[in-house]
Amino acid sequence: MSTLLEVSGVSVTFDGFRAINNLSIAIGEPELRAVIGPNGAGKTTFMDIVTGKTKPDEGKVLWGEKSTDLLKLSESDIAKIGIGRKFQKPTVFEEQSVRDNLAMALKNKRGPLSVLIWKAGAQDRARIEELAEEIGLTERLDHRAGDLSHGQKQWLEIGMLLAQDPRLLLVDEPAAGMTPAEREHTTDLLKRAAKTRAVMVIEHDMEFIRRLECRVTVLHEGSVLAEGSLDHVTKNQQVIDVYLGR
Amino acid sequence: MYIPRQTAAQTRRSFLRENPSVLWFMGLLGLFTLGVTILSEAFGIGVISTNLVKILGMTLCLCLIAIAMDVVWGYCGILSLGHFAFFGLGGYAIGMWLMYARTEIVIRDSLGRGTIPPTETEVSEAVAAQIFGVVGSSELPLIWSFAGSLPFQLAMVVLVPGLLALVFGWLAFRSRVTGVYLSILTQAMTLALSLYLFQNDTGLRGNNGLSGLQNIPGFLDVPQSIISVWFFWASSLALGAGYLLFAWLVSGKFGSVIRAIRDNEARVRFLGYNVEGYKLFVFTVTAIISGIAGALYYPQAGIINPAEIAPIASIYLAVWVAIGGRGRLYGAVIGAALVSLLSSWLTGGGAPNIDLGFFRIVWTDWWLVLLGLGFVLVTLFFPKGIGGLFDYLVRKS
Amino acid sequence: MRYVRHCNRELRAAYIELLKQDAGQGAEFPLPDLLVAKDMTMPRHALLATLALCLMFLWTPASVAAQSETPLQDVLQTVQEQVARPSRAQVAAVLDALQAADAPGTMEFLNRWAARDVFERPEDGLFFYAREGESRSLTLIDLDTGADVAEVTSRDVNQIRVNAGVRREIEGALVTFELLAPDRARRLAAVRTIARSPEAEHIPVLESALAEEQDGAVAERMARVLDLLNARFATDGAARVAAIEGLSGDITTEARRALNQILSTRSEFAPEIPEGVNVARIRTPGEDLDLIAAYARLAEADLVPPRQGRNAIRDALRANVVDGEVGGIPVHQLDTDEMRRAAYTALEEAGSVAPLVTQSDMEAAVAEYVFFDAYIEPDQAVTDAARASLDSTRTAISLWQFLGISLDALSLASIFFLAAIGLAITFGVMRVINMAHGEFIMMGAYTGYVVQTVIPNLTTSLIVALPLAFAVTFAAGVAMERLVIRHLYTRPLETLLATFGISIALQQLAKNIFGTQARPLTSPDWLAGAIQINDVVSVASIRVAIFVMAIGFLLLLLFILNRTRLGLEVRAVTQNPGMAASMGINPDRINMLTFGLGSGIAGVAGVSIGLVAQVTSEMGANYIVQSFMTVVVGGVGSVFGTLAGAGLIGALQKGIEWFNPANTLAAQTYMVLFIILFIQFRPKGIVALKGRAAGD
Repeated sequence: MSTLLEVSGVSVTFDGFRAINNLSIAIGEPELRAVIGPNGAGKTTFMDIVTGKTKPDEGKVLWGEKSTDLLKLSESDIAKIGIGRKFQKPTVFEEQSVRDNLAMALKNKRGPLSVLIWKAGAQDRARIEELAEEIGLTERLDHRAGDLSHGQKQWLEIGMLLAQDPRLLLVDEPAAGMTPAEREHTTDLLKRAAKTRAVMVIEHDMEFIRRLECRVTVLHEGSVLAEGSLDHVTKNQQVIDVYLGR
Repeated sequence: MYIPRQTAAQTRRSFLRENPSVLWFMGLLGLFTLGVTILSEAFGIGVISTNLVKILGMTLCLCLIAIAMDVVWGYCGILSLGHFAFFGLGGYAIGMWLMYARTEIVIRDSLGRGTIPPTETEVSEAVAAQIFGVVGSSELPLIWSFAGSLPFQLAMVVLVPGLLALVFGWLAFRSRVTGVYLSILTQAMTLALSLYLFQNDTGLRGNNGLSGLQNIPGFLDVPQSIISVWFFWASSLALGAGYLLFAWLVSGKFGSVIRAIRDNEARVRFLGYNVEGYKLFVFTVTAIISGIAGALYYPQAGIINPAEIAPIASIYLAVWVAIGGRGRLYGAVIGAALVSLLSSWLTGGGAPNIDLGFFRIVWTDWWLVLLGLGFVLVTLFFPKGIGGLFDYLVRKS
Repeated sequence: MRYVRHCNRELRAAYIELLKQDAGQGAEFPLPDLLVAKDMTMPRHALLATLALCLMFLWTPASVAAQSETPLQDVLQTVQEQVARPSRAQVAAVLDALQAADAPGTMEFLNRWAARDVFERPEDGLFFYAREGESRSLTLIDLDTGADVAEVTSRDVNQIRVNAGVRREIEGALVTFELLAPDRARRLAAVRTIARSPEAEHIPVLESALAEEQDGAVAERMARVLDLLNARFATDGAARVAAIEGLSGDITTEARRALNQILSTRSEFAPEIPEGVNVARIRTPGEDLDLIAAYARLAEADLVPPRQGRNAIRDALRANVVDGEVGGIPVHQLDTDEMRRAAYTALEEAGSVAPLVTQSDMEAAVAEYVFFDAYIEPDQAVTDAARASLDSTRTAISLWQFLGISLDALSLASIFFLAAIGLAITFGVMRVINMAHGEFIMMGAYTGYVVQTVIPNLTTSLIVALPLAFAVTFAAGVAMERLVIRHLYTRPLETLLATFGISIALQQLAKNIFGTQARPLTSPDWLAGAIQINDVVSVASIRVAIFVMAIGFLLLLLFILNRTRLGLEVRAVTQNPGMAASMGINPDRINMLTFGLGSGIAGVAGVSIGLVAQVTSEMGANYIVQSFMTVVVGGVGSVFGTLAGAGLIGALQKGIEWFNPANTLAAQTYMVLFIILFIQFRPKGIVALKGRAAGD
């Protein structure tokens, strides 16, 4: 397992409020990692920094074997390099069919001209069918994405992430608003994905994280409080203080 | 990878099969063109006057810029309030040739009657004095250096709007100006351009604009009745080709991506698409088509001046598209044709005034009030415009 | 006071004595450099008219009371013969008598006398003014009462003819009268009149008046004007230089005009620079003088043969066509300059045309002469002093001009601020683009116009119009918010379009009601003038008022937003509508009130803009784009942002105009371009909200 993403000494301030404070975190490939923390711990801001949405005031974000500096890249270049992100709120293109949503995410050339002359080949079609099966949406391929249920939208978004074939998957609260059965399905999806790539899951739900059976990083006030197995971190007095209050 | 020959044909067939409205539109446009030709004075029974042929031809050009606007706004979500600037620039580019070449013919004719043939310098000086006398100048501005060359000016029809859109779009999209800010910025662009052209010393005759554009050099002996039909055909052809181009553009994955940009541009960025590049591409292509539409429009109108580029014109363009129905190309065509024809009929005094006894509705006075209020109602209650009615009918049947 | 008056009387007597002596000897008044001065000075009757005008205003009751009660007619009768048949020798006696009596109406009489507007009735020798009636009839007017006396024909009375010499005497007397007047304001007015149209003969008059002057400020002013006169008209070179040096640093128009007058040049040429010519600048052909132009001037003076231009060559060829050929070259080949020149050379060799003047010919001819600009003033010391004096004022003038531009910019910024602040409120709080904002401005202006037609008193109508305009547009804004905008909150781009629909409807409606003609909105008299700081800088009072109004609105808004419950709620809704709603604030009500407030301010802005610009149905459209830019450049959602935006745009527009004053269109173009570029680098405006509140 080699280090894929290395975040070191990153800080960011919004109008005097320090959202991320000297944060250092690394993830290898393949690996499944859960990130937990109370509200305002800086989980979402951390994802914003990695995906290029927010530029930090200081610190380094390095990627892959060549230690590429991600801070110099735009959002789309970061996505192209192999980082996929799933938002907290499911964001799929509701006006378009599930198939079009997946087709857009497929790992193909992204330039306007190549897209203009692109025509779904047999391979692409097969890949879409395959993904649809994996996320359980085979029946709904030609339906409007807006007509899907909340959980189905979450899966479609995960499906789009998988279609991008990223090396690192950043998943923000995937289980929010899901039924227990749906949660189980989601856990399976993530665990399967983590066999070949790095997956980082932000989640509140301890039960969900327990099922992921992975290494856990606890964030608090913008920096890492503890790291290790779930059992290890839940025994940590500081973590207990933060979560249960003093 | 080997692509079997029939794949291309298959692609074409499937494109048209997936978009039956394109076939419908082409058919109707063809019938309309044929009908107007048969009814025209020049090639038919003469029911439609030359003037009306011109108005219809101009309307086709407006429909062309309307579908360009629909692509940039209805599909890509950029509410550009500056596309008429590109339309006007296309008109100016072709207008320069029309005016220069015609004046040159006239000047050569009159100078050639002297005992000694004129030199090239004498001709160009006389042409310059003729064209720029109104703004108190007799020198040919630098931008007119190649005005005598039709290929050059035709290239300008495409290049000037295209380059302006490219540079402006690059600046605006690069700094992530979106939404109403972008609209205001495009409006500022067209305002700056029209103010610039209003100046006498910018080499485009200030507020006099370019005139006499209906006379086509080389065909000065051909009567307007015939020329009007020629331009009508050209406009119809351009609209058909433009419709086909845009329909192809917005179908398939490209259309999928730009609609995705319209709905959630940040998400598209995280999918790895260079959103700015797509916007710039759409903005520039639609600007070029607008320029071409303008180049066909102004020879039929006969005159172009900076007032044509004023911000209000571009806003009207948005109104047409909104009334016709955004996000569908035929909607834009319906909106542009309906509103612009209705507007010229009602404000041209063609419509009978209605006497209500206590109040007399004079259309020239009340048309804009009605259009404004009607537009508010459409926005409030029929956000899909007239095109939305089709959906309603289709769902019913 | 009494003493001064007494002194003045003595002085007048002395001056009149002086006049008498001059007249007695038949000597001319000293008139040096009259040639230079002639065409620049005001025509004489204009000067008199101005003086008379000053007098009419300044003839205050106090000074009337101080005068003797002897009627003018009686005074004139004592010198009846001299008045009726005036001559240079006799005029002094009349002036003396008038001087002594100081009867009311003396000034007017002198004026009219000089203008040949006084008539004598032969029967009784009485004098009258007259008014022309139908067919050569005249209505005689009494000198003292101004009442109509009788209707006569022009044959019944003698028009008193005053010749040029006498007229000059009378004028001198008029000026003296005023310069020595007991009233300080009258003396100042007289000095001002002299400064406006300076003449050589004012010098001694002014000198003597200055010697008597007791009031420090007036004396200083007199000395200044005396310098002005001496600078141009003094006979002695040294005196002129001294006077010119006295003018250095004086930024008044009259001083600069006098100096420029001295420095006026004419361009000349000669084989070599002649003696006694005061050369301003030598011109080198090819550098600061066009060779062809220089040669043309020589040709004009018949010193060289004229150069054949392209047209001349063509005409010569045309005149020499023989059998379709010119100089052996077929006519149809003569369509290039080379061929034409070849043909001309052929003709030249045949001797049928004048030899072609070549470039080297011209150079040689021009080299024979020196081209230079010479001062019309021959004395170099004078011109040098004038140049130095003028240079010394340059910095001061630039600084004053800069101040003037800044004031202009400030006033423009106030207008932009007034126009934009309402928009900033609605846009900032509700993220709603109101394209009809300009039409609200128009509605306000028309409200002002309607009020003015109902209430004739301008001040009252303005006081009524301001709140009424607020009320009208407030109501219109609330109605629009409730009926249209409320339903479109989730679709900002469509709000833009819907409000545009309202905008075109309102515009056309105004056109239907008020017509396309511009309607006047007259400002009351106390706002009509201008505050004159000096000759370089002046500010229209109305602009000051608008500036004050803008400041007032700024303070009012800051008060409302920061110190009232409404402001608190507005800010809460701006920053987080959801949170505000959950805390019991009704966002619908807040939105409605905010929109009403923004629209109401637009109405008030409309009244003030209407006072400086035309009220037309399109006036709103003229301000809307600029208002948007003000808001966007300043930064959305901040009153200070709008202030900064208005300031920047106002300063920019005036600044660009300064570099290219003739072309306001260009200024606007560059300003818009600047704004486009500015937004590239600061997309969120000058005062940008940061972090999550920015709502991106």
